[in-house]
Amino acid sequence: MEQNGKKYPGLLIVIEGTDGSGKSTQINLLKRWIEDKSYGCMVSEWKTSRLIANVIDDAKDRNLLNATTFSLLYAADFADRLENTIIPALNAGFVVLLDRYTYTAFARDVVRGQDFEWVQKLYGYAPEPDLVFYLDVPIDILLKRVIGTTGLDYWESGRDIGLSTDFYSSFEIYQGKCLEEYAKMKDLYNFISIDGTLPVNDIHKKMVEKVQEVLDSGRLD
Amino acid sequence: MRLFNEHNLKGTLICVEGIDGSGKSTQLAILRDWLKSKGLDVIFTEWNSSELISQTTKKAKKKNLLSPRTFSLLHAVDFADRLEQIIIPALKAGFIVLADRYVYTAFARDVARGVDKDWVRNMYGFAVKPDLTLYYSINAETSLERICANRTPSFYEAGMDLKLSNNPYKSYVIFQNMVNAEYLQMVDEFGLIKIDAQQSIHAKQVKMRELVRECLAKKGINI
Repeated sequence: MEQNGKKYPGLLIVIEGTDGSGKSTQINLLKRWIEDKSYGCMVSEWKTSRLIANVIDDAKDRNLLNATTFSLLYAADFADRLENTIIPALNAGFVVLLDRYTYTAFARDVVRGQDFEWVQKLYGYAPEPDLVFYLDVPIDILLKRVIGTTGLDYWESGRDIGLSTDFYSSFEIYQGKCLEEYAKMKDLYNFISIDGTLPVNDIHKKMVEKVQEVLDSGRLD
Repeated sequence: MRLFNEHNLKGTLICVEGIDGSGKSTQLAILRDWLKSKGLDVIFTEWNSSELISQTTKKAKKKNLLSPRTFSLLHAVDFADRLEQIIIPALKAGFIVLADRYVYTAFARDVARGVDKDWVRNMYGFAVKPDLTLYYSINAETSLERICANRTPSFYEAGMDLKLSNNPYKSYVIFQNMVNAEYLQMVDEFGLIKIDAQQSIHAKQVKMRELVRECLAKKGINI
């Protein structure tokens, strides 16, 4: 992996998709598979920095955020994780599995009215991943999955941007807009798009095939 | 981007910039009283004071947890919060907004810390362009003397994170000179008005009022 003239010995693998697309399930399976092959593997999730993650939760609870502070707080969280967790692991030769990456910010921030180019530059220093898997799930199935598990969350429904006062339709509109943004990014960033409605094991097999190809290239040997 | 275009808001945005000890806060306080005595609506806002994040940033600074990039991002969060909550509403309502430090502080400090110049400028592109910005120029040695009258320079102020010197006083002078070099370059880039901060409080205030009068006259406010 090469970015800004720097080469890292490790591998950076990203799994993207909206809420309820099955990312966490796949990451757990993939991590076990990679470790079974005797490679070091580390998982890092969106919004988990020691520096700022709790500030974001608190600000969200108290409804303190506007579109710009929303973008910048997530960018700060990302920068902290990148510098303190992700890059050190890549330097040590780990396979780093990321549950969401800059593309999540691109989608959410643009839906909240930010200029795409502005957000893109904000994250411009981030290393380019070796693989990006995108779990593509249509909106009606996403809705069922989310309602059946965590329930509709205020922010995941984009209630902050006033799309609708009805929770269901707000979620539908917001996640629909996010899906549109992801669709635009597919080609731009070479996403490996996988039908997220397939059985869990079928999705896992597709991912493993791609990861195996990279491992076969001898990058980590 | 908004920062590079004139704003069409009713109010007036006046900013002061410069390293610590340049007397900019004193100047702004005297100006504020004077404008108020003229019956004008004035609001004051200062760097790193937002409800949203300033306490978090202060704590992180105390623990030396910040990298140049996260330092930069957290200050941008603070600024964005104050911009949306205080500065823009006040400008829309026709206030004179007095800002003790503005985006140029970030441009000077963050770039001196090694953050990419274009990256920081892009990030703050959402800022409103000020009507007037005064840069109080003072050399780092004098600045150090003045702040040491009541405290020692803090870790980040001294640029200790850059490992320029093990001695915080030496490091402060090296780092703040780098900050000053960035400010100086912005005189042309952003039209900052450079003021010699070695002058007396009175002399500086006379000059400030002259510039503010001129600026307000363009907005149709004659004082």
